[in-house]
Amino acid sequence: MSEPEAAGVPDTPVPGIPERIRTGLSAGVRTSRKIIKVTVPLYVGVALLKETPVLDRLGHLFGPVMGLFGLPGEAAFAFVAAFLINIYAAIAVIAPLHLTPFQVTQCGLMMGVAHNLVVEGGVLSSTGARGGVLTLCRILVCCAGGLLLRGMWHLWHAVASGPLAFPGPS
Amino acid sequence: MDALLAALLEALKLSGKLILIIVPLVTVFEVLRHLPVFRKAGNLVEPAMRGVGLTRDAAIPLFTGIFLGIVYGAGIIIRVAQQKGLSARDLFLMGLFLATCHSVVEDILIFMVIGGSGPAIFSMRLGLAVLLTGLTARVWKKA
Repeated sequence: MSEPEAAGVPDTPVPGIPERIRTGLSAGVRTSRKIIKVTVPLYVGVALLKETPVLDRLGHLFGPVMGLFGLPGEAAFAFVAAFLINIYAAIAVIAPLHLTPFQVTQCGLMMGVAHNLVVEGGVLSSTGARGGVLTLCRILVCCAGGLLLRGMWHLWHAVASGPLAFPGPS
Repeated sequence: MDALLAALLEALKLSGKLILIIVPLVTVFEVLRHLPVFRKAGNLVEPAMRGVGLTRDAAIPLFTGIFLGIVYGAGIIIRVAQQKGLSARDLFLMGLFLATCHSVVEDILIFMVIGGSGPAIFSMRLGLAVLLTGLTARVWKKA
């Protein structure tokens, strides 16, 4: 693995188009299998739990923390799923909760920054970077980004609907 | 029983939508990523990368991570990082950027499927990544 290479480019032979399509499709199929395995059971589980008082009660517990980001308490489960498993698991938990567009956007930002922490932390470490510090950074950025987006969203709506409404860029 | 079936149907519909996004996305990326245009993209982004304190050696792992994600791009990221012998500073800055802003296409599309705003998520993530990495680079001076 120490062959000389062109500026900035790893020198591996370029496979032909059919070969690339095949590689892409097989990666896609692998991901699809993962998506179904994670999404279906979680979605069904959350949808069924939603009919019982369990989700509500547990949701109340996390209400104050999630409220900081403009999210309902139940969203805490989506964060657990995102942090420990991956974004598909989080989506599967969020979808049956029927959140507002802002709340989905908020989840998308926060979970986009911090998800699959265990596996990705491992990958970052194996490049030689400090995985633990970076994982901590992700959680901090996730929280800071969430607060920022909530503030900006409020401001936007205050400006867009208030007496100070922007006439729009002209 | 009805509730279970209804939930199962919805769950399969959601999975179907996600799969319809991911499979073409990964395939198209795989076909495009060897194009000469992309291989030369390193030159174009160099000024932008200097802005956040990174050298062009970090371009390939950085862009792989931004578009593909850390796990799917792991092979390329790890291999290039080792071949190039990136410094601890480069690795940390790259990691910080990627931690905040990776796998953008996929993550954002799947949140749009359930009703999120793609432009809002994308601009926030890119903005935060540039800001944080740029600030860190200015605090952590090159050795």
